[in-house]
Order: sequence, then C-alpha cells, then structure tokens
Amino acid sequence: MSKQYLTLHTVDSAHPKASDIFALAPTSTQLLSASGASSINVYDTTQADFPVIQSLDKAHPLGIHHLVTAREEKARRAASAGFEGKVKIWSQNEDGVWSEDGEIVDQNKPGEMWAIALSADGQYLASSSINGKINVWSLNKNEGMPRIREYETKGSFGLCVDLSRNGSFTASGHENGSIYIFNNESGRLAHSLSGLVHPVRTLAFSPASRLLAAGGDARIIALYDVTSGEQVANFTGHGGWVLSLDWSDTGEYLLSGSHDSKAKVWRIETRACVATHSHGDKPLWGAKWLPKVPQKSEMFALAGGNNAISFYREAAG
Amino acid sequence: MDVDDFEDILFTPLDSQNSLGEDLLDSDDEILFPICDEEPNLWNSSANPITTSGTTDTSPGRHVSTAKPLNTREQSQHGLNDQAHRPVRDRHWVTARIEAMIEKIVDGLLEGHGVLTITLKSRAALSRRRIAATEADGRVPEPKERDINFPGANAQEAWNFTVLVRILELVHGSLTDNTIMTKRDIYYRHPDLFVKQSVVDRYVDDLACTFGVHRSQLNLTAGAKGLVAGNFALDQDNGHQLNGMNGKEGMLVPTIGENDTIDLTRVQWVLVVEKEATFRSLMSSPQWKMLGSHGVILTAKGYPDVASRKFLRRLTDNAPHIPMYAFVDLDPDGIAIMSTYKYGSYRLAHEDVTPTDTPALSLPNIRWLGLKSHHMSRTPVGEDDTDTAVLPHLQGLMRLTARDRTKAARMLEWDLCVEGGPEQSWRQELQKMLMFNVKAEMQILDELPGGLVSWLSKELGQAQGIDSDCSDDGMLF
Repeated sequence: MSKQYLTLHTVDSAHPKASDIFALAPTSTQLLSASGASSINVYDTTQADFPVIQSLDKAHPLGIHHLVTAREEKARRAASAGFEGKVKIWSQNEDGVWSEDGEIVDQNKPGEMWAIALSADGQYLASSSINGKINVWSLNKNEGMPRIREYETKGSFGLCVDLSRNGSFTASGHENGSIYIFNNESGRLAHSLSGLVHPVRTLAFSPASRLLAAGGDARIIALYDVTSGEQVANFTGHGGWVLSLDWSDTGEYLLSGSHDSKAKVWRIETRACVATHSHGDKPLWGAKWLPKVPQKSEMFALAGGNNAISFYREAAG
Repeated sequence: MDVDDFEDILFTPLDSQNSLGEDLLDSDDEILFPICDEEPNLWNSSANPITTSGTTDTSPGRHVSTAKPLNTREQSQHGLNDQAHRPVRDRHWVTARIEAMIEKIVDGLLEGHGVLTITLKSRAALSRRRIAATEADGRVPEPKERDINFPGANAQEAWNFTVLVRILELVHGSLTDNTIMTKRDIYYRHPDLFVKQSVVDRYVDDLACTFGVHRSQLNLTAGAKGLVAGNFALDQDNGHQLNGMNGKEGMLVPTIGENDTIDLTRVQWVLVVEKEATFRSLMSSPQWKMLGSHGVILTAKGYPDVASRKFLRRLTDNAPHIPMYAFVDLDPDGIAIMSTYKYGSYRLAHEDVTPTDTPALSLPNIRWLGLKSHHMSRTPVGEDDTDTAVLPHLQGLMRLTARDRTKAARMLEWDLCVEGGPEQSWRQELQKMLMFNVKAEMQILDELPGGLVSWLSKELGQAQGIDSDCSDDGMLF
C-alpha cells in the first residue's frame, strides 16, 4: 500500500553561495540547513512559507559538511562540522534564537572529526574520523567538553556515526563496509556487523534503540537488531548510493535519500517502499522527518545538490 | 661604460650615490633604467640569446625621473610591485649582482669575518592559503628572505652554502659566455653534490626571485617537457617550418620566437590535457585525424613547465578568440594543475609578470572542460516510481588518500577558492570530492560507449555552443 505525500513548499537557492546543501537538521519548530557556504540557515517550520528566521553567518569559512540537532525539545542544542576541521556547538535560548556555545577541542590533528551525532538530550556528541577512530564527547561546558570514550576500529574511514536516543550505544559505518556498535556504558565493542561490503555512508538507530538501519554504495538499506547483531531485513530499490537515513518519531517509517536524487519512504512493518519522490537531478544529501506535531500530518524535508529545500506533507485521508 | 661602473652605481650605499653627479644619472639612466614597454626578449632560444644591447631599442626618448630614489636595495624589495619603474635587469646586471655576491664572500674571507652570508629571497615556502588582506589586491606575494651561512650550525648548512656557491659559479659562467644551460645540465655537473634535480630547481628559482628576474635571464631554461599536436603551422625565423599534424606522437613544445609566425586559421579550440597517457591515447585513436584537424592538443605531463605555458600564452595572444579548455583528473592535483595553467605558479610569481605588470604567462580565459563530479553520475532522471535505472557502474573511481584530503582542505583556503572568490566551481568540486571521498582519473571516460574521443568531441561541441548531435559525434569534426 502506497502513501501519498504532497509538496508543501520549496525554497530555491537556499544557500546562494554554495552548490550543494549537505545537511538538514530539524527541531520541533525549526529546520536548520548547512551547505558548502559558511553559514547555517534556520527556517521556521510552523509558518506556511517556511521563512528564514536566523542565519548563523561565518560558522565555518570553508563550508559545512555535517549538521545535527538534539532530538528532545528541551535539549536546544545543535552541532556543526566544517571542512576546516572544527566542530562547533550551538545553543538555543527561550526565544528560539541560536548562538555559538563552544567548540570541541580535539587533541588529534585538525580535520580528524568527520561525521557527528548528538544524543537526544544534547549532552553527548559522537564523532568519526578519517583513520577510523570513533570518539564520544561530553558536552558539559564546565568540564571543558572532554572526550569520554575512544573506540579503535580497523582504520577504515568512518563515513557516518550515530548515537542511540537512550545514549547507550554508538554506531559507526566505514568505507570498507564495516559497521560497529559500541556499548557506551561498558566502553566496549558490542557488535561488528558485516553485509554491505561497499562504503557505508549513513546509519540511524530506531527511536526505541532496538534497530539500526544502514546504507551506502551497495544501494541497499540493511536493518540490524541492536541486541543480537543479526541482520533482520534488506530494503532494495534505490538506484544510487544511499546517502541519508532517518526514522519517523514512531519508528513506523524510514526515510532514505540517494545519490540518484530520489527519496523513498519505507514501512518497517511490511518491509516495503510506500513512496518515492524525486528532488531534482543532483545527489540528495539530506532527507529528514520533521518532528510530529499534534493535529498535523507527518512532514519531511529534502535537500541536496540542486540547492533547494522541499517540504512534503502526508496527504490527508 | 663597463660593468664595473654599473656595479659602482648599483651597489654603492645611498649616501655615496648622492655624490654621483646628476649629469651622470641623466645621461645614463637610459641605459641603466630604461622602461620596458614589452616583456624582455623571452622567446629567444639558444640560437638568439638575450643580449644587453636589446634594451637600448626600447622606448627611446622616455626618461625616468631622477627624483626617483636609486637605492637598488629598495628597488629589489619593492621588486615586482613596482614593475612599471623597474630597471632593466639584463645579462650584465645579473652578472654584476652575482659578482657582487661572490666579492662579498671573498672580502669576508680576506678580512677574516667569522661568518659568510648570502641572503636569498624565496617564494618556495609560500602557498595560496591565508593571504593577508594587504596583499589580496597585489596578486604577487612578497618573497621571504633567508640567510645561507658558512660556516653554518651543521653539515646541512655547509652543504647549502656549497650548493649555492657552485650554482652561482655555473650561472655566472653561462652568463659571461652567453650560452644557455638547462637546469638538468647544472645537475649533471655535480650529481653527487646536488643529490637530486629538485635541489637545483629550488636554488635556481630562489636566485631568480632574489634578483627579481625571469629564470631565462639567468641564461637557464628547463628542458622542454610538454608535447603538442594539432592543425597549426609554425614558420620560424630561421626558415624551419613545423606542422602540428606531422608525426604520430606529437612534438616537443617549440619555442615561438618574436619573429616567428604561427598559423592558427584552422584551429577552433585548444585542449590542454593533464596527462601524457591521455594525450597519447588521443593521438593513437583512429579519430585523431578528424579531431586534430580542428584543434590543438597540448600536455605538459602534470604540473606545467614555463615553456608550455609560454607556448599557450602565445597562442592566446595570437588568437584570443580561440577557446582554450583544460581537461584534468577529478582530484585535488588536477584542479591545482589547472590553476597553474590559469593563474601560474604561486611560487614562481617572478616568472609571471612583465615589466608593464600584465601577467605574461597566465591563461585567464582557460575553461574547465572536465572531469567534474556530474560526469560520473549520468543517471536518467524519471518521475515514475518504477524507474529502476542503475548507475552505470564506472570502474576507476578511487578513494581519496589522506594526502588528497589534506591538499583539498588546503586548497579550500586558497584566495581563489574562498567564499566569494573567483573560482567557486573549484570550491564546490573540492567540497564534493571530500564529501564522497572519491576521485577519478580521465581514463574513466574510456569506459563510456565511444570512449574518450567521442566524449571529448561531444563536450567540445557543447562547450562551443555547437548544436551537437550525440548520435554522430564524428560529424562535428
């Protein structure tokens, strides 16, 4: 059974100084976007025309490759990673205005933090690196935002990383196809998953932290059981590399974005693709659900190499 | 006026210069500091070496204001910023500078100074990154100075000094004999001393930078490196005629003399390819006769040498309407190589400017033909859900190395690639390379139906705005 999503609005030339939008990150009332330009845009998702309400200028002079937000509404935190190698932490005040709140100071060489992820409460940040090291940082400012976990892998570039919402697991996807799940409480490797062989470019824990979805150059999306480490499903259908994955709030649906500019919505229960949307003819870097708002139907946003952000809403009935 | 007089004027301190008669300055400034309207005679080969007398026929009747300070040290410090007022630095001037350097050392030895010092200026350590705001408009960066001492603190410094003195001696010899040497010649005089070619190259470039002259004014050339082919003809002053369609492997990039004439009437485009392998594969393709009859193809085998850049610059000066394209690998080096063709080498900026301050070797109009990231993903885009089109699986995509990633990040800091800089497409392609962590060589296009030649035919056709018919690419040419 397929589902219908309607285009609500499209922001063209969202980042005029860049070619590609590399990341989207939602909060309950906003969407943040980052690109090859130096600034972060903040859109109001409660208004019909999704206006830009804030621009965080000169965040990263060489462009921004990753941007994430903490899931919980009260967390009010975001983090951005730039091509110059820095990771900046952003905080939001009561009025919804963002400001810079510090930097992760890596003891390693600059440029060694690549993908980043925030815990739901915004207290922890996980990062991957080109040499395969996976780190977890406490974002406690009084303690100087120290590194609290350091996981060694076999040295393959960590292209993606995620933290489970309950904070107990870190997962990393690597260029050689490996996927690791680490137990943050014990500081040990919980599972070494295999099955994709090709570079793993995105992974995401389900809201209940029971499942892990992963995708990449193999063009399939693999679903793993976090407790057992078993692969429980394979979603096939994407014609290009899978670049982004995001679970809906209820865990019923998975949204995926691909290099071939297509986004797909998958129903977890039936393991079936229920909707496909094209977003121009350039790589689709970001595909994110907007948090569910009572009395409103589910929405998601797509962005990528065409420099446009499109907002979709589930068709009523 | 002989060389000694030159030296007296050039190398005496400012105070004593004031004691020189105004008459002397007035009468001789034409010879000492004539203003060059044209680039010095750089196109000469060994058959017609640079001579000092050549300077007297430039701009007769123009005078340098005597109010201008004649302090040569200041002159050379301002160096390239002050092109319009630069004295002609000919063979004799350079010889005199070298002799002054050596004389200082001899004096030092005679007077029993503890340390002998030669001060060199160098751009070798400069990069395009982090340009100070004050220099952003000046384009040519200020060189850095360093002292080479003897006896030095360690064996390395003693070796540096020996190498430099030996190179000075060889350069001086070739200047006084008025013969042209290649950098390779110098290296082979003492391979055991110089250890590797790059040592010679570095010191030669530093010397040219120190004197503020072109390397050719040290009577030094690099051996020709580039290859060129295509439908052009060069009538040389000495009666020789070169035709670019002759030969199956192209010719070494020729030197175009001032009085040579080059015929480009049948040339519709100039294609610069990064790699010799690509050049050779094009030359050996059955379609070459057709393709080559409409254009010129050149490769400098990687980062371009001065000779290849001079040749291209001459083509552009002769026929500015002919479009010029760069075809390079999709990796940080490919873009850096294209940058060297387009803007010149940052570290050899003293080679790059004529006395009238117009860039002598840059190719500002060269266009980037490929390879770009969208060439790798030619997926049909359809709105239908049933579309299961699979990316044509191109072999030859490679992962970036750690060095590639570092280089790409550094290049993003170049003044050319900063946000709002002149090369936004370079910035964007570098960012995408880092995001995908993938690079590709030009040979990847051989996998396409029709191979590289038909791809090039199509791209060149589209780039020129010709209505290209993909089904019959050969017809374009």
